[in-house]
Amino acid sequence: MILSVRGLHRTFGAGPAAVHALRDITFDIEPGTMVALVGRSGSGKTTLLNVIGGLDRPDAGTVHIDGNDVTALDEDGLSQLRRDTVSYIFQTFGLIPVLSAAENVGAPLRLVRTPAADREKRVRLLLDLVGLSDHAEQRPGELSGGQQQRVAIARALAASPRLLIADEPTGQLDAETGRSVMALLRGVVESEGVTALVSTHDPVMMALADRVIRISDGQIVA
Amino acid sequence: MIALLGRRARAQWPVLAALLAVVTLGATLLGVCALLVTRSASLALGVAAAQAEPDRTTVTAYTANIDGKDAAAVTDATRAVLTSAITPFGATTAARASSVTRELPGRTDDARTYLSGVEDLPEKAALVTGRWPRAAGHPARAETVLLESTAKLLGLRVGSRVRLAAKPPDSPAPAVLLTVVGIARPLPGAGWDRDPLDGAGYEADHNDGDSMLTFPAYGPFLVALPDLLDGGSSLSRMEIAAYPDLSHATPATLNTLVANVLDADPRLTGTVGERAQFTRIASGLTGTLIAARHQQDVTEAAVLAVALLGTVLTAAALALAGRLTAGLRAGETALLSALGTSRAQLAVTAVLEAGLIALAAVALGVPLSSLLHAGLSHLAPMSGAGLATAPQVSGGQVLAVAAGALALTVILTLMAIRSEAAPGERGRRELLARSGADLLLVVFAGLGWWQLHARSATPDLLQTLAPALLLTAGAALALRLVPPALRVADRLARRADGLPLPLAAFEAARRPQAAAAGLLICLAAATGTFGIALDATWNRSQHDQADLAVGTDLTVTLATPPTPGQGGAIAAATGAGVVSPASKQGLAIGQWLGAGDPPQLVTTDTTHAAQLLRGRLPDGDDWAGVTRGLAPAAPAGGSPVPVGGTFVLAGRATGSVPLTVAPKLLLQDPSGLRTLCTAAPITLDGTRHRIAGCAPADGMRLVAVALPVEYDPYDLVAPGQSKIAVTLVAPGPVGDITGWTTLSAEPMAGQIAFPAARAAGNRLRLTGTVQVGASEGGALTLVTMAFPAPEVVPAVVSRRLADGLGVHVGSPLEVAVGTTAVPIKIAGIVPDVPAAPGAAAVLVDLDTLSRVLTARGDLEYPVDSWWVGEPTRTDLEGLHLGTVLTRAGETARLTAGPLNAGLPAVLLLLVPAAVLLLLAGVLLHVTHDLRDRAGEVARLRGIGMTGREIRTTLLAQHAFVLLPLLAAGALVGALGTLTVAPLLVRAETGAPPIPAVTPAWPWGAELLLLALLVAGCTLAVGVVAGVQARRAGAAQIRVVS
Repeated sequence: MILSVRGLHRTFGAGPAAVHALRDITFDIEPGTMVALVGRSGSGKTTLLNVIGGLDRPDAGTVHIDGNDVTALDEDGLSQLRRDTVSYIFQTFGLIPVLSAAENVGAPLRLVRTPAADREKRVRLLLDLVGLSDHAEQRPGELSGGQQQRVAIARALAASPRLLIADEPTGQLDAETGRSVMALLRGVVESEGVTALVSTHDPVMMALADRVIRISDGQIVA
Repeated sequence: MIALLGRRARAQWPVLAALLAVVTLGATLLGVCALLVTRSASLALGVAAAQAEPDRTTVTAYTANIDGKDAAAVTDATRAVLTSAITPFGATTAARASSVTRELPGRTDDARTYLSGVEDLPEKAALVTGRWPRAAGHPARAETVLLESTAKLLGLRVGSRVRLAAKPPDSPAPAVLLTVVGIARPLPGAGWDRDPLDGAGYEADHNDGDSMLTFPAYGPFLVALPDLLDGGSSLSRMEIAAYPDLSHATPATLNTLVANVLDADPRLTGTVGERAQFTRIASGLTGTLIAARHQQDVTEAAVLAVALLGTVLTAAALALAGRLTAGLRAGETALLSALGTSRAQLAVTAVLEAGLIALAAVALGVPLSSLLHAGLSHLAPMSGAGLATAPQVSGGQVLAVAAGALALTVILTLMAIRSEAAPGERGRRELLARSGADLLLVVFAGLGWWQLHARSATPDLLQTLAPALLLTAGAALALRLVPPALRVADRLARRADGLPLPLAAFEAARRPQAAAAGLLICLAAATGTFGIALDATWNRSQHDQADLAVGTDLTVTLATPPTPGQGGAIAAATGAGVVSPASKQGLAIGQWLGAGDPPQLVTTDTTHAAQLLRGRLPDGDDWAGVTRGLAPAAPAGGSPVPVGGTFVLAGRATGSVPLTVAPKLLLQDPSGLRTLCTAAPITLDGTRHRIAGCAPADGMRLVAVALPVEYDPYDLVAPGQSKIAVTLVAPGPVGDITGWTTLSAEPMAGQIAFPAARAAGNRLRLTGTVQVGASEGGALTLVTMAFPAPEVVPAVVSRRLADGLGVHVGSPLEVAVGTTAVPIKIAGIVPDVPAAPGAAAVLVDLDTLSRVLTARGDLEYPVDSWWVGEPTRTDLEGLHLGTVLTRAGETARLTAGPLNAGLPAVLLLLVPAAVLLLLAGVLLHVTHDLRDRAGEVARLRGIGMTGREIRTTLLAQHAFVLLPLLAAGALVGALGTLTVAPLLVRAETGAPPIPAVTPAWPWGAELLLLALLVAGCTLAVGVVAGVQARRAGAAQIRVVS
């Protein structure tokens, strides 16, 4: 298993106003698969992804990625996890505005101190992969939403992660662009051999996924 | 709108509090400056007047030739006029009067004397024996005190009685029987120069002004003033001095006083009428106050310049705060516009909010400025200057605070209502506008600098604005240097590995708002560093001015000629290592065509120049080096003379013409002071004559003897020769005189042939052959002296004198010291001679000058003061020698005097204000910047950056911007110090100081300030970055998503 989630609980607030975002979530994901996490807004999808990615901590339960207990890691361990093993793709792309597309893609490589020559080679490869070789020097503000998300995908792949977490990656895109981004994601899962956990409302995405996990009121329903 | 303002104020109270704080700070600064130039200045004028030397504020009425029957009435009337002139101030008065002269009884030489009444006699003379006279109340009898010299010469003692006969009726003086009840010694500096005999007690050929006749005069017989006034004796002179008590003076009362004093002169003339032939009221008060007002104007201009600098800085801070606030409200403004709110309505809201902030700032600024001003006044230098006050409110202060607050909030309003344009269009437009503004600033700054450079006597608006303009223009131009520097960092970062630092460089170089606080930071750093340097420059200049004006560590300007042993007494009283007689006097130079005051001659002992001479010299020079070679190679020897020793002189001359000599003995005491001992002319007929009183102190030596030979031209039948031989019997062995020089003095050097001196035992024999009748005019003087006769006097001259005469080192000069021509050779040129700032002046060694003068038969020793080097004590009042001036005292007067204290005081305020505004600006900017980028920062976590790396990135990003800005600000401050600070410092008169101002850059204080700013900025950025890094997590991502 690349990902093993056991008995996750996460509650925001306390007392009568407490919101139980996750309730006893348990599932496993095989390596090299693309899993769609489906649910309505407020169902707990983002909370689950944040806990899995180590951006949030559960009240109870465990998350194991590639055999490592994420919930037991300290802040530095979590950062290391996000550098080496897990990559994020945000709904709002999360690109750094002052960096060009190439520099955004190279950012994770800089974090692991990849030599400049290797970094540039990898960046070119990834921009080729997402079809943005001609836009390498453009900054996010000069790119369309779809192009920004492609850059985000390239950046997510830069450090060759084992697990790709994407939180509604097409949420800010029109349907056609969203579909092309989904197709790209599907393609990189296959070509790069990574595992992807993607939260989405998009039926197309669900169709492209190897498996669909449905979540409602913080619980897995299917 | 009101409801919107209320709700927004509740929601954005920290922002409004920040805006209010900045406006209040600026308004408070203006309020303090207003109090400094109004209340403190007013108080300073009074304090300065109260602290002025009494002779600068004393009002003195002089009357002369008063008939005896009118004496008391004229005195009363004069006193009444004076007292009313000094209203509204209280005053003490002291009268001094002298009668006409009358014959001394029992004399055949027409000797005369006079009576004097001195109201505060115990303050002006020291009783040697007996007691002070009491009023007898009877016109024919009076008690009297005599000066020691008079008593000695007249052979009177306590208990003696003298009957003065009545004078003829044209100048009535009834007979009076005087009983001597005391003997006194006049105190120096006590006004005895206005005694008919200058307090000497005797004058051989006095003229009382009534006729051309001269006669021996003795006196005064000091009687109680009422006895003199009521005794019926006519008065030759009468003066009443009024000493106003100015301790509570204000400018208004001082103006009244000056007007009254100016009006008093004609009133006195009118009141006294024909009862006195001469009336005059004189006072240095007007001049003192005019000088004080000049000085006050100078200080006021500097304070206003600093206040404007503070205001510009506050405006920059407010512009930043306003821009950040507008950015914060951009969404709200867009929403309101979308909902149909017109631009006019938005403007009204902005004006209303700004008005409320201004009102609150005024409400806070008035009491705060009062408290701050009171606090400042209790700190040095104001407290030391006697300007400490309780908190107070003035109209000018309220006006300044209100005007400042309103002006500053106008900036807020403009920032709030300025039109939003498309980014590209706005960028181009702003670039153009900013370039134009920069250019305009530079032009105005240049004009201001030129005005300052021209140094008009009265500072104008442009001069006052100049420092603020120059620093603002400098900061604006320096900002242009920051982006290229950041672009270099950007290029370096692209090639670097790692993310935190390269990302920080990218953020700093590429984010347009990264340097939004640039102008404020640069200007504040410039202002802070400039403020510290201006304070140091001003202080250094005051020290330099004091050093040069005094010329040494301590001077005693003598009220009476120096006496042997005085130097030893001064050395003992001051604990000084070096005490030297000195002088400063006018000098006649034939070639001098320079403008202004005549050249000055400064003389002192240059063998101790390092310890004695003060005044800034060009780098690499010192006074010991500059004056090397001015002093003789070896000190004068001479024959020791025991204290109280008496000389006996006798001589003979051959030939038919009777010759006389007027012997002059020059003696030197251990301090180097030479005193001249003279005797009445002696006929060279073999008769022995005693010369007593030449050695009143221990350790004296005879260093020269001059024998001016005279004869009566009526005795001369035909020119011829006369051999003279004069023997001086000293009170001790004369010793070896092989090193002595004997000559016939210039300019009649050839008129005494074969001059020679020989010593044997205690006898010194001088011989020569006088060419009697060979020439007309000029003294024939035989001189022997215990040192070689220098050909010329080497001198160091001031640059002004050298330029005025077109001379250079090595040039000869012919000058007249007194009436003696002295050849001078220029050994060096200095910017200014000590004690003669700005003057065309000549500095020579006193010993050398004395030797040259002696060789020319002029044994007068030109000394009018004592110079003291490195004293440990300065209290010389007990010696009653004259006016004491210390370098430290003059420095304190210039740096901490009431009229000067305003500038250092306001600088005390400016530097902390600059630091506060800078740190506040940085905090505001960083807070807004990081809040705007909260999501971006959170996503950095998402790509795997640790909290520490995020903090490093944020800190480095701001460091990349702040450090160059601080450095640029410091550079602008340094350039401002070089170009403006020297021009802002003025002398008391408003003229450029002498010596010229040298910019001071106190590295320690400047580095401390920069370290403080860096530490403050690091703390501010660190705290905000730390909070932001901690917050960067799931919740933040959720919010931005």
